Amino acid sequence: MRRSRTATFAIGIVGTGLVIIALFVAIATAVAIGEMVIPIDRTVAAFTNRLGLTAITVPRLEEAVIWDYRLARSLVAASCGAGLAISGAILQSLLRNPLAEPYVLGISAGASTGAVSVMLLGFGAGAISLSVGAFGGALAAFAFVVLLSNGRQTADRTILAGVAASQLFNALTSYIVSTSANAEQARSVMFWMLGSFAGVRWPEVTLSASVVVVGLVICIWHARALDAFTFGEDAARSLGIAVQRVRVVLLLVTALMTATMVSMVGAIGFVGLVIPHAARFIVGPGHIRLLPACALVGALFMVVADIVARIVIAPQVLPIGIVTALVGVPFFSVILYRARKAA
Amino acid sequence: MKLALVATLFAGLPFAAVAAPTGYPLALENCGTQISIEKAPQRAVGLGQNSTEIMLMLGLADRMAGSAVWVSPVLPELAADNAKVQRIASNTPNFEAVVARNPDFIAAQFLTSVGPKGRVGTREQFADLGVASYISPTDCAVTDNNVSDGTRKQMLTMDLLYQEIDELSRIFDVAERGRNLIDQLKAREAAVRTRVADKASDVSLVYWFSSADVAGDAWVAGKNGASGYITKVIGARNVIDSEQEWPLVGWEAIASRDPSVIVIGTMDRRTQGADDPVVKKTFLTSDPVASKLDAVEKGRIVEMDAQAMNPTIRTIGGLELIADAVERFGLLK
Repeated sequence: MRRSRTATFAIGIVGTGLVIIALFVAIATAVAIGEMVIPIDRTVAAFTNRLGLTAITVPRLEEAVIWDYRLARSLVAASCGAGLAISGAILQSLLRNPLAEPYVLGISAGASTGAVSVMLLGFGAGAISLSVGAFGGALAAFAFVVLLSNGRQTADRTILAGVAASQLFNALTSYIVSTSANAEQARSVMFWMLGSFAGVRWPEVTLSASVVVVGLVICIWHARALDAFTFGEDAARSLGIAVQRVRVVLLLVTALMTATMVSMVGAIGFVGLVIPHAARFIVGPGHIRLLPACALVGALFMVVADIVARIVIAPQVLPIGIVTALVGVPFFSVILYRARKAA
Repeated sequence: MKLALVATLFAGLPFAAVAAPTGYPLALENCGTQISIEKAPQRAVGLGQNSTEIMLMLGLADRMAGSAVWVSPVLPELAADNAKVQRIASNTPNFEAVVARNPDFIAAQFLTSVGPKGRVGTREQFADLGVASYISPTDCAVTDNNVSDGTRKQMLTMDLLYQEIDELSRIFDVAERGRNLIDQLKAREAAVRTRVADKASDVSLVYWFSSADVAGDAWVAGKNGASGYITKVIGARNVIDSEQEWPLVGWEAIASRDPSVIVIGTMDRRTQGADDPVVKKTFLTSDPVASKLDAVEKGRIVEMDAQAMNPTIRTIGGLELIADAVERFGLLK
């Protein structure tokens, strides 16, 4: 039952169109709902005002909430979803491990260590921000895992290295916090552990969107090499691919992308795991289609997850990591179960 | 009439009978547990800054064997006395470190330090060693404090703090000192009531303790804690209607309630992104939404010791500070 090339192409176009439409609807929904009750006409007016299309009177506070909070938040969610999904797809291919993804590899633990070091140990003497600290910590954890799992790539080694990294960096965080000068009154360092989109504004939109676009382009540029990596490094080498160079470039791109996301919104688990597998079911393993599919589906998933996080226990907000994990863990289990059967 | 009474209290004149000496063993009901004090403690340990500071205010420094769980520097007027008491740890010490001080009495501020899931130990553990423990009544009323800062079903009143001062003073057989301290605090509370007395009914406040990420969700005071008490005494309204002590609330939610005054917490702690009050102020004036809040545009931001936002002897100071600020802003009717 093979479909013709044209039919496949047509289905692809229609599917892509549908996902893009769904993404727009999701973002529009995210902008329309929130703590502050704003009528839909004023919501639209706030949007068109800022685009310079209209000059309708909208209370300044409402316009700022629509544009600077809700729209920025949903766009960052979309960028992060796309970025994490792409990173997951790249790691799964490079490390030849279906369970590889940034969160499992200890990057979030590294980010919290970095952030806490800046806050408590005064790294950088106030010149560097928490985000920069988190960024550095995420990179450090990533480097740790890559070094440990270097050489022969087996599923066990990478996951073990990730577990080791998580343990090490979580321990460092706890050590720094518990040796700090003042008693901590219950309030825990939840933010870096579970993620939150609450603190993002337009500067974060610009940064995350540009990082994701650049990352996606570089990865697609290497799509053919990634396809070859699926069959192992020797196979890739025999196809004339500069294995070492491609590995370094792609690992670096992935590390930079995830470190940027984590430093902005904390660690959001399982998106990088779930979305690439889901996307493979839809478009198959070829990276030229897989990577854009990951970006679109990842963006859609994260915007919807954020809406769920905001409405499920309103007026409080569920940490976004809880929503993604509630979907991600069952999926992770299915993969494990299937892997058991295959072996 | 009221003013005359206040004046009398301020003069420190006793208006009740002189406190009787404590008869031992002293039986007390504390936090749902029956405790019995066999004799006046000679080696007390304070776990929690407020418990320690109350004992120091009662002039008990030479009867203390240690202190721990410090949030900020000791009150300046207590510094000399506090220097005589060994600090076991600034943070939460372990059980053995406390026991090593050979204590005969433990006064704890939080159930999270000494309680059913106490990080130092349980009350039974101390009781097994013959050490009586006393938990602040202000914290007994808080439930669910294992995962967050807990929930308070009933509005805090200073009566719980006065009860703590009274009970501690009787445990140490210094009831007279306890009564004087309570009278002073009550007089200050009454003075604020007289001065503000329902003239702030149009004022709404939010108390911002801190945030993990300054632009992200903020820990703000719920309606029933110390900040809720301050708000109630001046007859104003807390825009946060939650029974949690420190609910996590987004800035859109705060903006939708547009409070007329924003109170920001000052503290020495620097473990969270917005612990520094300068960071808080910079955010308020630069964030696209926060900067358009009524309180920010009109410059009605008040800095307040974060410990006054929790039930402590500093809460009365916080009450005076807020009353002054509301008056200064011209918000009294």
